[in-house]
Amino acid sequence: MKAIIHILEHDFRNFFRYKWWLVGLISMNLADLFIMAIVYNRMLNPDVTNTIGGYFQFFAPGLTVTGLFASAFMIGREINMERRREVHHYMLSLPMTRFELAMGRVLSGGLRGMLYMSPLLATCLILLPNVPTIEQFLLILAVLFLLATGISGLSIAIAVSTSSLEKFITARGLVYYTLFFCSSVFYPLYLIQSLASSGFPTVLITLAEINPLSNASDMIRSFLLGYPSFSPTMVFNVVVFSVIFTLSAAFAYMKIIERK
Amino acid sequence: MAPIIRITDLTKKFGNVTAVDHLNLEVEEGEILGLLGPNGAGKTTTILMLATVIRPTDGTATVGEYDIRKNPEKVRGLLGIAFQEPKMLWVSTPWDIVNWHAKVCGLSTEERKRRVKEVLESLEMWEARHRNVHALSGGMRKRVEMAKVLIQRPKIAIVDEPTAQIDIVGKHRIWNMLTELRDEGSTIILATNELYEADVLSDRVGIIHRGKMLVCDTPKKLKDSILGGDIIDIQLEEAASPDIFQELKKFKDVVDVLQLKPFNLRIYLNKVEEVIPKIVNMLTKKDSPIVSLRMTEPSLDDVFVHYTGLTIEEAQKSGE
Ligand SMILES: Nc1ncnc2c1ncn2[C@@H]1O[C@H](COP(=O)(O)OP(=O)(O)OP(=O)(O)O)[C@@H](O)[C@H]1O
Ligand SMILES: [Mg+2]
Repeated sequence: MKAIIHILEHDFRNFFRYKWWLVGLISMNLADLFIMAIVYNRMLNPDVTNTIGGYFQFFAPGLTVTGLFASAFMIGREINMERRREVHHYMLSLPMTRFELAMGRVLSGGLRGMLYMSPLLATCLILLPNVPTIEQFLLILAVLFLLATGISGLSIAIAVSTSSLEKFITARGLVYYTLFFCSSVFYPLYLIQSLASSGFPTVLITLAEINPLSNASDMIRSFLLGYPSFSPTMVFNVVVFSVIFTLSAAFAYMKIIERK
Repeated sequence: MAPIIRITDLTKKFGNVTAVDHLNLEVEEGEILGLLGPNGAGKTTTILMLATVIRPTDGTATVGEYDIRKNPEKVRGLLGIAFQEPKMLWVSTPWDIVNWHAKVCGLSTEERKRRVKEVLESLEMWEARHRNVHALSGGMRKRVEMAKVLIQRPKIAIVDEPTAQIDIVGKHRIWNMLTELRDEGSTIILATNELYEADVLSDRVGIIHRGKMLVCDTPKKLKDSILGGDIIDIQLEEAASPDIFQELKKFKDVVDVLQLKPFNLRIYLNKVEEVIPKIVNMLTKKDSPIVSLRMTEPSLDDVFVHYTGLTIEEAQKSGE
């Protein structure tokens, strides 16, 4: 347990080395939110705006989730770099179990994501119409935390299975675009589902439906916006994603990194 | 007393390269054991396996009472390692690195503060403790790597070429600190390709070549073990002919003759005072003038030559 705390300290220290960069990123995220809200609101079909109640309100939870995604994913880049510089030899020689090391890394990634996301979530809480109950608020935090560890796990699994930075970045780009754009982060799920009749691939529609980014954003929307209605499958999808990737990251980190 | 480390048939293959080849070795508690070998001999690979960082292909080792394959966690609890290449992220600082290391190794807050300051000061890294690693010189990074182990004072310290890249004053300081660490009760494994370092620091030296342990003993016994108590180095004006080579070998007290370079001969022999005039005579008769003639005592270099058939410089040139 102590070992996990040490790993968290290590990874948070690295995170804060980039504090000004992070502050810059968060500010840009917020600026994006306001600019997109104004511009897109004017571009949208009034039918859509009537359903979702303004693009700003719709997009704020989505942006919170993408911010969480990007920041939780940063741990993978660090682990990939450690591996290339063979700093992982040092990490592997420390007096702790492989499981503690791996879980420590996954948790740091997740918690760092939560920290980064908090100003974005705060913006949602302040500017969106509904005030969540304590239970709803805790459920939001729990789901976002699970999502963050799952993303952290996904990034670690990719980081240890790719040998070079280019491969890591390519894989990261692929994951980003698939998960961001096949989701309800930027556009309502019902619009994506309605594309089925015009021949849009059903695989992509299904992906958008089970995508944990969609589910997390829609859950925040359901509590803060009253739309779409809450369903337990939202939580379930995030839990499944998170369990799969947390475990596979721990496993990959323990096995692959020791191979050579 | 049972050895604190016992390595049995330890083997590591990388593809078809056998980096460590059925290595056997015992390390006694409280000694400095030098692992001497040229580039690519397998020193670092052996260390990484002991540290449970990489898995052996075959064979195993026990560290303390624990097997490196069965109880790697327990093994890591006994060890402290200073790696050959400093293992640190470039954005961190010496202070963060050693302070965190000391925490992870379980030093109390008070001891940690005291020792971090003490060791960084001794290594002349206190001033630079808040600089980024990328702004440090190679030797300074190496000092930070060493500082981790010196602060930790592990039961078993493994140091891989601890003074490579470090200036001469720094080298002596680190050698003193390692000797102190040993005197305080730690066992030390010192991998090096510097003969002098191995000689002055080690209680015993193991010579490792192409992944195999050729011999392991005290430096004195190793030097005594090569035949012929004396050595003369002769430089000739022109390349020595095979004929001269044969003549030299015929002398009763000459044990061995090596041609280090075309013009340079190294002769291992007994009763040097009696034999030198005869050798000089013979060379004069053969019309092969002597440029210089020097008498020396055997060094670890000669031990190395004796067991590998290579000088350490040659071995390094031919090293993979
Ligand atoms: N990760 C690796 N992959 C492939 N081959 C390796 C790897 N690590 C080491 N080797 C090979 O194993 C052999 C032993 O290398 P090792 O680093 O153990 O030597 P060394 O004795 O420490 O040498 P040096 O004095 O240069 O540090 C070399 O032939 C090296 O090329
Ligand atoms: Mg080495």
